[in-house]
Amino acid sequence: MSGAGSTALARLVADHRVLVCAGSGGVGKTTMAASLAFWGALQGRRAIVLTIDPARRLADSLGVGAIGNTPSVVPAELLGTGAAGTLSAMMLDQRGSWDELVARHAPSPEVRDQILANPFYKQLSESFAGSQEYMAVEQLGELEASGDYDLIVVDTPPTQHALDFLDAPDKLLAFLDKQIVKWFLPGFAGGWSVFQSMNRSVRFVLDKIEDATGVGVLSQISEFFSGMGELFDGFEARVERVTRLLRSPETAFVLVAGPDEQVLGQAEYLQARMDEKGMPLKGVVMNRVHRLPGGDAASEHDPASLPAALATVAAAAEMPADVARSDLVDNLRALREGWRARARGDALRIELFCGSLPEAVPVVVVPNLSRDVHELNGLRSLHEYLFSDAVGAPEGS
Amino acid sequence: MSDAPLFSRRLLFTVGKGGVGRTTVTLALALAAARRGKKVLVVELEGARSLEKTLDELRRSADAPAELARIEICIVDGSRALEEYLALVVPVRRLLDTIFKSAIYRYFVAAAPGLKELMAIGKIWYEVDRREREGSGPDLVLVDAPATGHGLQFLGMPQAAAKTFSVGLVHREAKRVAALLRDEKRTGAVLVTLPEEMATNEAIEMSAALDRLGLAQRLLVVNEYHEPPCGSEDLAALEAALSGAGVEDAIYPATAATLATARVEFDWAQLNEAQVVRLEDQIEAPMVVLPFVFCEEFSTEEMVHLSACFEAEFPDADTIASGERA
Repeated sequence: MSGAGSTALARLVADHRVLVCAGSGGVGKTTMAASLAFWGALQGRRAIVLTIDPARRLADSLGVGAIGNTPSVVPAELLGTGAAGTLSAMMLDQRGSWDELVARHAPSPEVRDQILANPFYKQLSESFAGSQEYMAVEQLGELEASGDYDLIVVDTPPTQHALDFLDAPDKLLAFLDKQIVKWFLPGFAGGWSVFQSMNRSVRFVLDKIEDATGVGVLSQISEFFSGMGELFDGFEARVERVTRLLRSPETAFVLVAGPDEQVLGQAEYLQARMDEKGMPLKGVVMNRVHRLPGGDAASEHDPASLPAALATVAAAAEMPADVARSDLVDNLRALREGWRARARGDALRIELFCGSLPEAVPVVVVPNLSRDVHELNGLRSLHEYLFSDAVGAPEGS
Repeated sequence: MSDAPLFSRRLLFTVGKGGVGRTTVTLALALAAARRGKKVLVVELEGARSLEKTLDELRRSADAPAELARIEICIVDGSRALEEYLALVVPVRRLLDTIFKSAIYRYFVAAAPGLKELMAIGKIWYEVDRREREGSGPDLVLVDAPATGHGLQFLGMPQAAAKTFSVGLVHREAKRVAALLRDEKRTGAVLVTLPEEMATNEAIEMSAALDRLGLAQRLLVVNEYHEPPCGSEDLAALEAALSGAGVEDAIYPATAATLATARVEFDWAQLNEAQVVRLEDQIEAPMVVLPFVFCEEFSTEEMVHLSACFEAEFPDADTIASGERA
């Protein structure tokens, strides 16, 4: 099943400059993104993975143990033999990114300091829904513009809705709606007088909000926008540029999913929304799939044969009678049947999901490995599943 | 098992990393409580609605357990809760509509620190409180909280909001809700994790963060735990014997495959066990281990099976009667 898909994934990586790994939380996006970038480096690309929240050991082995918005190059000797390209990694520090953005675009140091010290700004940069997603998009734009990389793999933030990443630029633009921002621009010095010209209902709303919250919040918001307003024109242009990049034929969205009903439900929804946004899905990595160890054996379908065979083996192992007792044999047989049921369920769910995908979208299957994949060797070991035809046949398929 | 049984906590938040099974654990806990005759309210926050979907499927299944009738669901939307709240303050409908439609209001709601989260928790508080005021309402409220990062943000909001809003209604409300969250007689967290390295790391961090928030951890649920299928020596002996055993060619592949399965399961069990040891070592809450469920499709039978694992966490009915009102 995965043979044709795997070579297609290799082609997909070869044909694109930007890969965006999307999917819901806990499916292994970070690991897959790093593994794809590593593959690119092995193929001679100047690759970078922009990661959000890697496991400590992965971060350490990629050399991004310290949080920071600067790319670090993974030393060539760590990549192992045959790496023709380079691998860099960068960990997104959301807060740092906003501060940097403000620092870069503020018209004066005073405005910059005023914004950075504003409590409302702190709140916005830390928790505004979509701000982390937006910063990932922003960083992607930066990396692309630098010209230092010919393969950029983006790991999207772990959100309940993977869609937040796609929506982030639009949301931010809507948030910084000029019409509304300008209400705040004159500053709060005159109290409510700046709102005198507004209609009564707006004033009424503000009164109510003031009642409920105390006035401090509104003055902070006002102050924030009087600083932010000057940065705003830059934002719009940047958002547009990055949105263009996301829609460009050089960019491929790769969905990372798992064979659970809930995960696949979200994946289907995500895929539909991507199409709507003109950011078509180009590949799927189905991670943590249960495969029946040792494959399916025809002789298992004779219900009497397996206990007999196991009993023979137990006898040959010269086990004491209490070990070779029948419940050991029963246990092993029940375990085998359990795995078979689970593997069949996974396969069925994947098949159903694939039925909803356009034909041309390759799907590769990565088995649920009984080890955690954190280090460079681990990332490399995934290549045999992701790109099996290119590396050699995977085991046990 | 602990001096403070789970059930005496009226409000429990299920927290954990994405993909560890928070929703499943929330429903399994709800079923276990309902089986003890308790009225349970499960709360889902605006978003994917996976709790609602799963509960719907349980209700529609042919073997739906009777105690499902004692489980109600409530979807809490912070913006909606704020509107409800304002409706109490501003009784004139027409004015309210003007407020809700105005861009500046939407702005304020989107941007004001923690207001939505505060209102969502405020709404949940209302549900908890209702029973005392009306003699009705749920005995137990289970909240399927957002995944780690968002979950902590969510739970930390009342404290943050109490600081941000220095006076006024919101300030008072924030203080009240923050106090409820820290009231360990009534409120607690159920931390869910998988016995795998990354998830365990995150659970340990989460546990420390909950301590800082002052939210009592009542239970640590380790989900998808693989039991060793047999002793390691037995397995090694079977594997060694297989090649020389003179097993007939016709059934050799099936036997080999069965042992291969046992080996994979054994590896999982070892990996899981190592993480359980770390969890036991680093997180103080009592632990419940849920087995990895081997099935083609997770359905009612499996949910009921998992909920039985929580039986010991709920005291007997008479213990509840005496211990409930403190």
